[in-house]
Amino acid sequence: MTGQATAARRVLVLRCPDWLDSDSASSDRAGGDGVDSDRSGGDSAAARAFESVVAVVENFCPQVEVLRPGVCAIATRGPARYFGGEAELARKLTEAVGRAGVSCQAGIADGLFAAGLAARAGPTGLLVPPGETPEFLAGLPVGALGMPELCELLPRLGIETLGQLAALPPAEAASRFGPPGKLASRLARGLDPRPLVPRPPAADLSVQLEFDPPAEQSEPAIFAAKALADQMHERLAAAGLACVRVQVQVRCADGQELDRLWRHDGLLSALAVAERVRWQLDGWHGAAGIALLRLVPDQLVRATGRQLALWGDSVPSDRVARAAIRVQAMLGHDRVTRPVLAGGRRPADQVLLVPFGDNGVPQRTADRPWPDQIPAPAPATVFGVPLTASVTDDSGREVTVSGRAQLSAPPARLSADGGPARVVTAWAGPWPVTERWWDPRHARRQARFQLITDDGNAWLAALQDGRWLIEASYD
Amino acid sequence: METGIAQVISLSPMRHRDDVLTGAGLLPVLPAFRELLPGGGLQRGSVVTTGDWGLLPLALAAGAVADGAWCAIAGVPAVGLRAAAQAGLDLERVLLVAEPGPGWTQVVASLLDGFDIVLLRPPEQPSAQLRRKLEAAARRYSSVLVIAGDWPGAQSRLLVADAEWTGIGLGHGRLRARKAQVVASGRGAGERTRSAWLWLPGPDGAVMAAAEPAGIAGTVLADPGEPLVSNG
Repeated sequence: MTGQATAARRVLVLRCPDWLDSDSASSDRAGGDGVDSDRSGGDSAAARAFESVVAVVENFCPQVEVLRPGVCAIATRGPARYFGGEAELARKLTEAVGRAGVSCQAGIADGLFAAGLAARAGPTGLLVPPGETPEFLAGLPVGALGMPELCELLPRLGIETLGQLAALPPAEAASRFGPPGKLASRLARGLDPRPLVPRPPAADLSVQLEFDPPAEQSEPAIFAAKALADQMHERLAAAGLACVRVQVQVRCADGQELDRLWRHDGLLSALAVAERVRWQLDGWHGAAGIALLRLVPDQLVRATGRQLALWGDSVPSDRVARAAIRVQAMLGHDRVTRPVLAGGRRPADQVLLVPFGDNGVPQRTADRPWPDQIPAPAPATVFGVPLTASVTDDSGREVTVSGRAQLSAPPARLSADGGPARVVTAWAGPWPVTERWWDPRHARRQARFQLITDDGNAWLAALQDGRWLIEASYD
Repeated sequence: METGIAQVISLSPMRHRDDVLTGAGLLPVLPAFRELLPGGGLQRGSVVTTGDWGLLPLALAAGAVADGAWCAIAGVPAVGLRAAAQAGLDLERVLLVAEPGPGWTQVVASLLDGFDIVLLRPPEQPSAQLRRKLEAAARRYSSVLVIAGDWPGAQSRLLVADAEWTGIGLGHGRLRARKAQVVASGRGAGERTRSAWLWLPGPDGAVMAAAEPAGIAGTVLADPGEPLVSNG
C-alpha cells in the first residue's frame, strides 16, 4: 500500500434491512424474496419513509449521506469524539433508530465500501478497528464487490477472495480487467473507489434557482431540479469531472434550510436527481414556501467515461422526462405512470402502473406461469372495476352455472353496464377459475365466458357469486 | 409557482427533435398499416382519428415506438396493455395519463411537446378553439395526435369498417383472431380512400395484413376444427 494519504477515512454505514428486500438495485438483496404485500407502493414511498430515519441520524452528524433508501453513511471522526468513541457512537445511533421503531445494523470501517460490508456482518453490524480493514476484507468473497461481470470472471482465474485480489499488483489488475478491475483493486485494498481531485477547481460548479414568489408546493421545485441537474451535469462534463455526491439545498422563505447529501457517483441522470429532491421535499412540511433550490456537486473526481453506462435503452430522453414531469406538476406524481407487465389471472391484474420516475418491480412477474391466464389475444380494453352485466337465456332467465360447471341454459342476451340487451351471436365457456384459494382475503371463484354480441363486440365476462361481470372487451 | 415553471422552461436548452427521425417527417407504422397511409407512415404534426377506442390506435403507434419513438396514452383508464404489448407496442416507451382531469387540453399539449405520438380519448367533445390549439401544438412539436373519437379537423381518418372474430362458436372454441377491414380517408383534395384487411389482432395478438375474405374466410386461419362466426 503506497502512501497513508490515500487511506480511506473512517465511515459508519447504517443499514435498515426493512427497506432492502424491495431494493433491486442493491447488491445485498440475498435472502429477500421480493414478496411484500404491504409495500406495493414501490421504492419511492419507501424512500420517503426513510427520510424519518435520516432525520434521527442527523442528530448525530449533520452531514448524512443517503446512499439509497435504507442505507446511509456518516463520517465518524467528529461524532465519535463527541459520543465517546466509535463503539459508543454505533451503539447510541442504533438505539436511537431502534426507538423510532426501525431495526438497523451499523458497520464502521475505513472507507464506505468496507463499512457497508461491515454493516452486513452479523445481526447488529461490526466495528472494524482502524487499519484492520484490509484484513477484514481479505476473507470476503469477490462477490461482495457487487460487480457481476468481474465477480464471474475472477473466480475462474482462481481469485476467489478480496484478499487474493488485493495481492494482485494494482497496475496488473487495471491492465487485465480495465477500469472495473482498477476500481475493484482499490476497493479490495480498503481504499476509496477513486482518488478525489485534490483541490476544488476554481469555478463554482453549483447551480441554483430562486423562486420569486416562493413556491408554495414542492412540485415546481422538483420540476426545476431536473433542469438544474442538467445544468450541473453539463458544467461537470465540461470540466471533465463527475461528482461522488450531490448536495441538495433547499431554502424556505422563512430562512429554514433543508440540506441533504445524495450518493451520485456520476451515475444519476438529471431525472434521478430530481427524484431525490422529491424524496427530500416529501418529508418536509414547511409553512413558508420554497425560496431557493441549489445543487452542489460534492467530492469531485475525474470523469471515467462509464457514466450512464448502467442505464438501459429506454431511459427517457430529456424531452420526454421534461414533458412527463410537467404533467406530474399539473396532476400529481401518481397520475403519470409507466406500465410494467406483471403476473395475474384477471386481465386487470396483469399490469402494474408505476409513477413516472419511480422504479417498479412487479411482485408477481409475468414470466411465471399462471395456469388459468386467458390465452392470447388479450383484450384491448380492460376494466379496472368490472362492469355489472346481465346474461339471460332464451326465456329471459338469468344464466347460472352449477358447482359442476353445468350451464342452466345457453346465453342468448347480454346487457353490459345497464345498457340495452344485445343478442349473443357466439359464446364459449364456462371456464372455472379458482384464484388464490390459499388466501381467504383474495380468494375468488369464477366461471369465465367469452361472448360476442350482434353489434360486433367481443366480451370477457365472468359469473362470480351469482353475479355477471364484464372484465374486458376485445375490439 | 407559475413563475418558477416559466423560469425553468426559459432556461431549458433548445429542443432537439432529431432523436427519432425517419424519412420526410413520417413516423413509421407496422407493415400492415403501410398501404393505408399516404407515404406509408404517420405524418408528423398531424391529427389522425381511429373511431372508437380499441386495438386500432394502440397498433397504429406500435411501429413508431418500435423505431424508438415515445408514446403517451391519455384519457383511457381501461387500456388493455397486454393486448398493446402483443400487438407490438413496446411498453418500455409508453406513458399513461389515465385521467388527464379538467385541464386535459393543457396536459395533452404538454405531452405533445415531449412525446412523438399521443393517443387520446378526449374526456369531452372539445370546442373548435381547443381543437385548433391542440392541432397547433402537434404541428409545432412535430408530433402525431391520434384521437379515439370525433375530430373534425383531422388530416386522416382510420375506421374499422367491418370485422369478424374467428375461433368461437355457440358454446365451443374461443376467441382466436379478428379479421378487420380498416378504411382510411384523408382530408386533402385528390386524397383517395384506401382500405386493407388486417388481423386486428391475429392469433398471438400480433397485428398483420390479412387476405381479403373470399367466400369462406375461415380457411385463412389453419384452424379447421372450429367454425367461423361472423359478427359484422
